[in-house]
Amino acid sequence: MTALIELEKVSRVYRRGGEDLYALADFGLSIEEGDFVAIMGPSGSGKSTLLNLLGGLDRADQGSVRVAGEDLGGLASADLAQFRADSIGFVFQGFNLLPVLTAVQNVELPLLLTPLSRAERRKHALYALKLVGLEDRVNHRPRELSGGQEQRVAIARALATDPKLILADEPTGDLDRASADAVLELLVRLNDEHGKTIVMVTHDPKAAEHARRTIHLDKGAVVEVVQNRPAKSAAPTEGAPAEGAPAEGAPADAGEAPAEAPEAS
Amino acid sequence: MPWLLLLKNLLSHPIRALLTLGSLIIAVFLICFLRTVLVGLEAGVAGAANNRLMVQSAVSLFVDLPISYQTKIDAVEGVEQTCKLQWFGGIYQEPSNFFAQFAVDHDRFFQAYPEVQLIEGKEEDFLAKRTACVIGTELARKFGWRVGSKVPLIGTIFPKTDGTPWELEVVGIYQPSSSNVDPQTLWFRFDYLDESLEAGAATGPPGVGVFATRIAPGAQAETVARRIDELFANGPQRVQTTSEAEFQRQFVSMLGSVPTFLTTIGGGVLFAILLAVLNTMLLAARERTKDLGVLKALGFRDGVAAGLLLSESLLLCTLGGAIGVAVTMGSAGFIADQVKMIVPNYAITAETAGLGMVLALGVGLLAGLVPAWQASRIEVVDALRAEV
Repeated sequence: MTALIELEKVSRVYRRGGEDLYALADFGLSIEEGDFVAIMGPSGSGKSTLLNLLGGLDRADQGSVRVAGEDLGGLASADLAQFRADSIGFVFQGFNLLPVLTAVQNVELPLLLTPLSRAERRKHALYALKLVGLEDRVNHRPRELSGGQEQRVAIARALATDPKLILADEPTGDLDRASADAVLELLVRLNDEHGKTIVMVTHDPKAAEHARRTIHLDKGAVVEVVQNRPAKSAAPTEGAPAEGAPAEGAPADAGEAPAEAPEAS
Repeated sequence: MPWLLLLKNLLSHPIRALLTLGSLIIAVFLICFLRTVLVGLEAGVAGAANNRLMVQSAVSLFVDLPISYQTKIDAVEGVEQTCKLQWFGGIYQEPSNFFAQFAVDHDRFFQAYPEVQLIEGKEEDFLAKRTACVIGTELARKFGWRVGSKVPLIGTIFPKTDGTPWELEVVGIYQPSSSNVDPQTLWFRFDYLDESLEAGAATGPPGVGVFATRIAPGAQAETVARRIDELFANGPQRVQTTSEAEFQRQFVSMLGSVPTFLTTIGGGVLFAILLAVLNTMLLAARERTKDLGVLKALGFRDGVAAGLLLSESLLLCTLGGAIGVAVTMGSAGFIADQVKMIVPNYAITAETAGLGMVLALGVGLLAGLVPAWQASRIEVVDALRAEV
């Protein structure tokens, strides 16, 4: 299996009240194509920052972020936008559907950036909605849908362009248990049956169990990697921490960048 | 550009959109209306003949000159012909039916004013009948007068001694070929007025208000004017000779600062609508911050986010401008009827309609630029975090 995501010595620093705060410090990570990784950790541990860097929504201050073969640090703003359009599907906690558009129009949005014809766009969007089980809600507006349905529309939107990577930021955070389970099952199916690589940030351990691996972060560094289900590739990468064990070399204080960060792969 | 989203965004708050649109329509209408009034007021000046001088009392337009001055002015080098013009100020049935009436030299009038072109009746009848008058097409339309109609006018400056009205007969209807002549004017014979005064059949100031003086081809208007003024420099009454354009401008200036006032109102309306649309667009941009973040996250470029807001502003203003201009054009006939006594040349020109549209687009551009710039600058992460 090839690595879809490779982060090397990545630091992201925020300046707050005159002090440098390391959201990620000398961070390393490798995720293979077809993996389903849950990122967990307390608030401020760097989960969202990591997701933003992977999605090209933010830039690292130091280090290299390579996703789908692209070195994101070297891309201009417009190229980064193109990268997002081509390679990434986003699923947000608050669904973030455009309220003025119907479900199918929301799903069609990212397809406007492709050379597809209008009819083809509609066909793709309808297929994506069918995939998430919402073929009977295509003309409903977000406010006419339940939270779970809204999130499934958001997943359909993320799938519409057939991206290599789906980044989900607390996708079940605003959902009740039943809806959350349905969404998680859907993500598992997308990973198992359609081979989508998924990186999901979550606070919910039950949600994380649906992923193949759970990476625990704290203070901008990996502290533990847990293998929940077998990886698609049985051969672990050299240097990977033992299952369930905290990653070695995790910094005690994320405010200080460690000389060498662990790499979870 | 996601055009569907643009349209749906515009209609997402229908009441707000309609209110802003309504403000734009009213603003464009007002600006076009005010400009048309200004253009109408200036039309007489713009259309003034450049070979005609107006000789009036140096004291005031309301002070008459002796009739005997005409012969002297006729003899001035460079003068081709003069024609008396005397303001009559009569009332037809009731004061609200106000229109201008002038007593003129019947045998010189059509040479002095070639812009007065009869479309009905004959000049010969004006020469033949002492009580003859010619009227403009607008007067004919308003009062239903035709050639042969009797027009009784109650004299206010020149009342009949027996209390009866002056009986005039329409012998011709004219269509002016230039905007300096009002199609709502009645011209009748000066000799009828003068002889009535002499015979004691009517009372009023003897004399002439203005001598319309045509200058000979090749003569310098300024030189001729100076000669006329110098001729009467030592009295018995000093005169002031001006070009017709300057003479017409007196009437505009009689309105005091009205043109400035109208221009100021127009500017104020424009500024107010700019603020209103800017407020609408800033509000829209704030509400859509998260949506813009989503679009950027999906891969739409900064320019698309900016373009959405700018296009929305331009679309709103184009629509408002177009409807405003349409309302202005559609109501022009009705408004012209209401204001024709003050602005006889009320007509929406292509320039005015174009100005209305350009100003509306300008407002759209200016009001859209700030939120568009903000939209292009905002970071995706910050936009997605926005609480609306």
